[in-house]
Amino acid sequence: MLAAAMLASAAGMGWLALAMEPHWGQVFGGRARRRGTIRGLRLAGGLALVLSLCLCLGADHPSMAALVWIMTLAAAALTITFTLSWRPASLRWLLPGG
Amino acid sequence: MFQSVRLSMAWLHTWFGLVLGFVLMVVFFFGALSVFDREIDRWAVPQSRFEPQPMPSFDMVLRPVFESMQPTREAIADMAPRVNGPMPQTYTAIDRMGAYTTHRDPVLELFIGFDVPGAKDPEEALWAYRTIDPRTGASLPDDRLKIGSEFFYPLHYSLNLHWRDAGTWIVGAAAMAMLAALVSGVVMHRKIFREFFTFRPDKTIQRSVLDLHNLTGVVALPFHFFFAFTGLVIFAGIYFPVGHTQLDPLHQLSERLEAAETGLPHERAGVPAPIASVDAMVAEAQRRWHARGMAGEVGFLTLQHVGDANGYVSVYRAGTDRIALTGEGIHFKASTGELLREDPAPGAVGSVNEFLTGLHLQHFRHWLLRWLYVLGGLTGCVCIATGFIFFVEKRKRQHAKQGIQGARLVDALAVTTVTGMVVATLCLLIANKLLPDALPGGWPPRGDLERYAFWGGWLLAFVHALLRSAPVAAGRLSPAWAEQCRAIALLAPLAVLLNWIMTGDHLLRTLAAHYWPVAGLDLCLLASAALALLAARRLKRRASAAPALDTVKTGVTHA
Repeated sequence: MLAAAMLASAAGMGWLALAMEPHWGQVFGGRARRRGTIRGLRLAGGLALVLSLCLCLGADHPSMAALVWIMTLAAAALTITFTLSWRPASLRWLLPGG
Repeated sequence: MFQSVRLSMAWLHTWFGLVLGFVLMVVFFFGALSVFDREIDRWAVPQSRFEPQPMPSFDMVLRPVFESMQPTREAIADMAPRVNGPMPQTYTAIDRMGAYTTHRDPVLELFIGFDVPGAKDPEEALWAYRTIDPRTGASLPDDRLKIGSEFFYPLHYSLNLHWRDAGTWIVGAAAMAMLAALVSGVVMHRKIFREFFTFRPDKTIQRSVLDLHNLTGVVALPFHFFFAFTGLVIFAGIYFPVGHTQLDPLHQLSERLEAAETGLPHERAGVPAPIASVDAMVAEAQRRWHARGMAGEVGFLTLQHVGDANGYVSVYRAGTDRIALTGEGIHFKASTGELLREDPAPGAVGSVNEFLTGLHLQHFRHWLLRWLYVLGGLTGCVCIATGFIFFVEKRKRQHAKQGIQGARLVDALAVTTVTGMVVATLCLLIANKLLPDALPGGWPPRGDLERYAFWGGWLLAFVHALLRSAPVAAGRLSPAWAEQCRAIALLAPLAVLLNWIMTGDHLLRTLAAHYWPVAGLDLCLLASAALALLAARRLKRRASAAPALDTVKTGVTHA
């Protein structure tokens, strides 16, 4: 359950990053994106983070789950940032065929 | 004074961050280590390497141990100035005694506070401590330093500077500065969201360091904020000691009123009385917790006014299943076992306080959250370290032209607090393994020697950083960074090796036995050695390519 929560956080942060122009460029090069894609990515990112919170709540007492979730978000943001800096291409799995 | 709010915030952030950043670095690094303080204790004290144990039987195991406990000669001499008349050699009147354990403790800590006749402050007791193996009641040698819980943990909140609580006050000031630095940092940062995921390692050093500083500051902002804040809440009693200064008479009155309200006697009756079966009281407490649907391990057991008709026994729960630092204490009359009181659920303010202190002190059982806290702490270290390096990078060329030594000094202090602190920690671990079990007569206690190894190692790192800092004054990179990284890469595996030689617990054995306290620390030591080696190589490449400093890696070395 917690592993799934961490995965959901990472995917959510990844989608939110892809919704930003410079990071899209890092991952997909110059390929153009449509407005709809941006909105879709933001939505997917937000939903994944909410899903992660739900998974945390499913695993632990709410007071504990809130802390686990917040710290998971920090870990996910760091992971995505460093992946973007050093191995941007490996984030393509977040949007197959993008 | 400043043209804009942003400039004044920048001034505040720079100078408060610089001055108190050195303290914060210590607080964050040893705070991160303290998350696993009990596990570090297992590494340091081989006699205690077994599985965590529940609170043992009081009647069978603890009682005989308590009866054999007496204060040390040092403790008696230490209290003598605060007593009218001579100090007795043996003590029998026990004001308070108890035992404390957590779900991560194999060994059990016992304490006794003896009444001292003629004490100037009648509330003051003379304390004696003992650590036992709860399976047999056998005592463990008490000159062994529990490096995690008795050195790193107090270093985290008091810098181990106990004179008039000076260390705690300095850390408090640093925590306040940290809150100010977080707010001013957010105000200064123009692109919090636009650059949320931004780290550009191949730009100029100054740029990549600032990226890393912003990144680690922003993504862990809730962590940084809550830990600085809850740290202050925990020590509010020291920072605002109204209860024992201005309001002292009121405090005494409140204690008496509280005693009347709770039915738990505040004073001795002066009539001797025996102690009934404490095990029966513990069983009754567990039955009552169970009826309320709560996990029922005992975390804390105390006896007040021992041997007196007013004596009572308090049983507290180990609150491993929530964040809040709860106890759900249940109190019994010591002489009869009759139930005196069940602590009611705390009110709103009490609950918030319990949550905030519990969030910081971590009595819960949740390994993932523990590791995430370590990550948060190390993120804080990277944030502070990159702050120092940015300060130096921004000024060193200008200072070199003007012949000012400022950047050079800050750089040397940064080396001391970043890599030097790791070197000092490793010196302590190595001394712990190298010192013989029995020291020759006339030597200081073993634990003190271990402490000296830490402070000595740190002092050496400081002197080394200062001596090698000349290139910074010429606008170049100090070789001390790479040299201390190499020292870490050498010392960390040495600690692992010595642990193997002195205790026989090598990694293959601890991993096969799933004994994570020791295996985990060994693995972390090896990982930091690998990172330090990588950092040293990157630094060397940078130094030969351009006269500059690879800051990314030096920050990461802290892991």
